[in-house]
Amino acid sequence: MNQMLIQCQNVWKSYGRKEALRGLNLTLEGGKIVGLLGPNGSGKTTLIKVLNGLLQPEQGLVVIDGEGPGIYTKSIISYLPDKPYFSGWMRVRDLFELFEDFYEDFDRARAEQMCKALQIDIQLRMKHLSKGTKEKVQLILVMSRRAKLYLLDEPIAGVDPAARDYILSTILNNYNPEGTVLISTHLISDIERVLDEVVFIQNGQVIRQELVDDIREKEGKSVDELFREVFRTIPYGGGAW
Amino acid sequence: MLRKLFKYEVKSISRVFIPMWILTPVVALLLSASIRSMSLWTENFLSSTFMVAGSGILLMIMSLLFFGIIVGLFVMTILFIIQRFWNGLLKDEGYLMFTLPVKTWQLVVSKAITATFVSCIGIIVGIFSCMILAVFSTSEIIESLAYVWKYAFRDILKIGPEFWFYLLLSLLLLVAGIVGSIYHVYVAMAVGQLWQDHKVLGSCLSFVGISIIVSILTNIVEYIVYGFGVFEWSYVAGNAINTWYLLFTLLIQIIQIMIYHVITERLLATRLNLE
Repeated sequence: MNQMLIQCQNVWKSYGRKEALRGLNLTLEGGKIVGLLGPNGSGKTTLIKVLNGLLQPEQGLVVIDGEGPGIYTKSIISYLPDKPYFSGWMRVRDLFELFEDFYEDFDRARAEQMCKALQIDIQLRMKHLSKGTKEKVQLILVMSRRAKLYLLDEPIAGVDPAARDYILSTILNNYNPEGTVLISTHLISDIERVLDEVVFIQNGQVIRQELVDDIREKEGKSVDELFREVFRTIPYGGGAW
Repeated sequence: MLRKLFKYEVKSISRVFIPMWILTPVVALLLSASIRSMSLWTENFLSSTFMVAGSGILLMIMSLLFFGIIVGLFVMTILFIIQRFWNGLLKDEGYLMFTLPVKTWQLVVSKAITATFVSCIGIIVGIFSCMILAVFSTSEIIESLAYVWKYAFRDILKIGPEFWFYLLLSLLLLVAGIVGSIYHVYVAMAVGQLWQDHKVLGSCLSFVGISIIVSILTNIVEYIVYGFGVFEWSYVAGNAINTWYLLFTLLIQIIQIMIYHVITERLLATRLNLE
């Protein structure tokens, strides 16, 4: 049995009147690739931000590797946000230096190798890189850490299928096997093959958490099929699609 | 960690400010040279009108350039203070900075130290450039300055260590004033980011609101303190500078900075509202 890595108990978070997390409960063990699946606005990004300490919940308990969000948890979490977070003036190598300075688990040699393989010049400033290359640099930075927990927020949203394959193979080939990868997405079919476990989230609550093999064995369905079933919305005017 | 953050901040300023800091005195030197050449050409009866007009145009261009660069330095410093905090912590870059394994106060302090550093160097460069302009423009100014300095130095020696105490106190007041102004901008942005929409408007309104509150509170405190006759109600009491007044002003400024810092840090640590 793997050690418990994430524990959330009765976590509440709201933006003004809108409740994003409504008494969310979740426990995750280490050493797995977990899909955080839910429709838009279900609370995936909010949960990830709470886990990495960007947001403070109004209520509830969040424990990561035995500690509440803080310096220690930030040092073991490798976070990929759903948008680029660089300053335009920084060169790729400046970012490597920054990561090397702040994260003990950052493997610079690996990051440089990955850049070389993708023919990304590390002397270039971020503002001179294309959107796709920026995303690749961000992914390289995140996956070059030997982190205990990878929080990847929509890593394959908005990219073409070839790029999705590249992103997924980068994640699979580079993550720390002893760590846990939590990937939030609503593009299930692309990601299903890499997942060990799925967490379905809706209206700020975990509504289902299961091993992917169990879903296939017990229900005889793929995760994608189950997702469509669970989150099916009746179209306006009625009827099925 | 603070040192590492500071290193990162310094990197962000070096590209823009170092060339500006070098360029400003160079332009001052060129301007003073053009002033000199202008006076030489006009004094010389043998010079042609063309020469005088040419050096006049050169003088005008150099004056505009110098004026532009001084204004540019001032505007860029203010923009830098706002932008490094706003873009660096409250926009997309905040996703990087707030997930680094550092404390929120370290993020705020590293920005504040860098902003203070940039402001102080900007002031020093500005003064230094004006001195260059004065010293090299005409020989009369050099003579007058030497005269003034001679007597000023004699008076400094006469006053003794007290002079250095007041000089230090004045410098501390100046730096505290700069830090206070920087934190005033920070706290306004930290409050402004709480707005769900119109964060910039929120920050501007917060800035004005905080200014009004601080002004009222300062007046109340001063009224209480001076009302009881603890200090003389003036900067200069008789002929001597009122030490207590200066120390009290410094204390108020330090308290103000501490309050601003705590509010900024708490808001960012507990109510961060990244888009």
